[in-house]
Amino acid sequence: MATTTTDTDSTQTNGEQSPVSRPSDRLTHDDYRELLKQLYLARYFDVRLIKEKKRGRLRGTLYSSHNQEAILVGSLFGLEPNDWISPIHRDMPAFFLKDCRSGWDNPDRMGMTIEELCSQVWGKATSPGRARDNWSHIGSKAKHIIHSTSMLAGTIPAAAGVVLADRLNGLNTIAMTFNGEGSTAQGVFHEAINFAAVEKLPVVTIIENNQWAYGTPTHYEYAQEDFARRADGFGIPGFVADGQDVIDVFDKVMTAVEHARSGKGPSIVECKTFRAYGHGDHDDDRADRYRPAEEVEEGRKRDPLAVMKARMIKMGILTQEEADQHPAEGKGAGEVTDHDFPEDVVAYLTRGVQFAIKAPVPDEAEGAMWVFREEN
Amino acid sequence: MAAPVSTEIKSNYLTALKEALAEEMERNPHMICMGEDIGPLGGAFGVTDGLHAKYGRERVYDMPISEAAIVGTACGLCLNGKTVMVEMQFIDFISCGFDQIVNMTATYHYRTAGEVSMPMVIRGPAGAYGGGALYHSQMNEAWFANSPGLKIVCPSTVYDAKGLMKAALRDPNPVIFYEIKDLYRRREIEEVLPTEDYIVPLGKARIALEGDDLTIVTYGQNVYHALSAAEKLKEEGYSAEVIDIRTIVPLDEETIIESLKKTNRLVVVNEAPMTCGFAGEILSRMAEKAFEYLDAPPVRVTRLDTPVPWVKPLELYVLPSVAKIVEAGLKVCKF
Repeated sequence: MATTTTDTDSTQTNGEQSPVSRPSDRLTHDDYRELLKQLYLARYFDVRLIKEKKRGRLRGTLYSSHNQEAILVGSLFGLEPNDWISPIHRDMPAFFLKDCRSGWDNPDRMGMTIEELCSQVWGKATSPGRARDNWSHIGSKAKHIIHSTSMLAGTIPAAAGVVLADRLNGLNTIAMTFNGEGSTAQGVFHEAINFAAVEKLPVVTIIENNQWAYGTPTHYEYAQEDFARRADGFGIPGFVADGQDVIDVFDKVMTAVEHARSGKGPSIVECKTFRAYGHGDHDDDRADRYRPAEEVEEGRKRDPLAVMKARMIKMGILTQEEADQHPAEGKGAGEVTDHDFPEDVVAYLTRGVQFAIKAPVPDEAEGAMWVFREEN
Repeated sequence: MAAPVSTEIKSNYLTALKEALAEEMERNPHMICMGEDIGPLGGAFGVTDGLHAKYGRERVYDMPISEAAIVGTACGLCLNGKTVMVEMQFIDFISCGFDQIVNMTATYHYRTAGEVSMPMVIRGPAGAYGGGALYHSQMNEAWFANSPGLKIVCPSTVYDAKGLMKAALRDPNPVIFYEIKDLYRRREIEEVLPTEDYIVPLGKARIALEGDDLTIVTYGQNVYHALSAAEKLKEEGYSAEVIDIRTIVPLDEETIIESLKKTNRLVVVNEAPMTCGFAGEILSRMAEKAFEYLDAPPVRVTRLDTPVPWVKPLELYVLPSVAKIVEAGLKVCKF
């Protein structure tokens, strides 16, 4: 029978030993430090690109993941290298966070390199998609990243398809799709999850519920308190996670992943969060036209960096002094500086940016190439 | 085309398609079939009959009534190395999977700079003249001809039905395959097929009838209307050449141009509505590439810009007919 878990108590317990065993019980102190580092990396990617854009160096739109990084980091951390992911526009860091555990600079890692991702953002020929579509619209068959498009929820059926193919080939991979709550109103969202449920396909659907679909609030999008309860209609489990808390995200998502990996089928994990800035950088300055300032202020209060630091201090993994060393939390892209981030995070991304700036643009004739595959 | 014949048993259009699917399933262990009611039932028209019994649910999937999920799942399967045949119960229903076809599947090779191929065939019963009414009669190939990345096929003969289907299933690109359901069991077009493996390559037109005075270009069921019209035109003293293009994308322009060099007169027939229909595309291309060979303004014969109505007099009123093609033929010949 379907079960919807709305338990978010781990936020309140803040690391106290729970009598119930949780996937995060298996995390080491080094894992916690790595998770914190990845939160910094995702945040720095976002603020650095906003700065690069403001300098007029980039075309296209950045859909900021600021304040939502715990969802990406916590969801991806427990995946196996060969698992598939399907990120969307607000998930740019997911492309390199995938399989970061195999080493950020491991050339065989099943995630994009920072050079590849920056090349994509800068529209260079060294992008995995040779910059044919913009920003987040990339992927890699080789790295098991499903190529995203502008069609929201449009890649969920593809996620079902890739793991069905793997299953037929005797492989036990799972597919994890990322979606905003806005995309859940699309028919294809329901069609795909329904089929995945019928076939018991290992598809984990992450809902990043940031309360706003561009200019439309959730109460105009669906009439449920917890979106995850929609899972009941498919006969699959739905979980609700505190999207500001990377450990709670990890716990809920890993429960879903283990469910999928053991052959029990798909599930939905709703991560409650708040979109800290505009839909894209193009509406940053107009966001207060449709969002009350108090709501935005309230929504920005629980920065995932701060939540994780508090948890680690309480667990004795981090000292207050160490936590204060890189105070990026609670600061907008305009306020934060490189000094607010760990040096290795800044260096890592800077390397990617410098690579991308120097990389060549694709030849114009490529615009007419690859419409059809010519050879068999 | 003259492959040796070792049996005198005639096949119809439907069994030709069945054989093509069965042979390709046997040949390609990575081929999967997906569609509504295609399992034990064998599909609404029986084209997949027997496949489920032989290969089971691992390779033949009865799917929920979710065209977007069917095409989208097929897209994921192709992304991960499979070849997928998708059946639309009627080609009219393809609109429910439109986004997955034109935005996901058709663009995949392009947007990944060649990393990903989509060996998918989306096939289904199509076409009017049978009283199928608005939603079981369409020829909607123009939607897809305007979406780069898709090949589009429409056989009119039994030989082509099998050979084009096999070629489509071996093509690394997504193919929309229009099966003319009115031809499925038509006795007059039955023919003896070669026993050995053969394909009909995509992008090569067929001269259905040779003639000297005008060229009638068409595909699907209207090939037969054009052939009947040619007989009538013969009585009027005009010899029509009938070209069956077989594939809408890619289009074999050369065969049409070569014919126009000889006949200097062009009539194009398609079953879809006139505005932005593929007949208009053929006229445009011939205006650009063969204007110097034309002795008369070319004419197209299409459905009126209406849906397909149900009852027979209304249906025939809006569709191309032998009489309308004859009228068009006389117009270009008497110019």
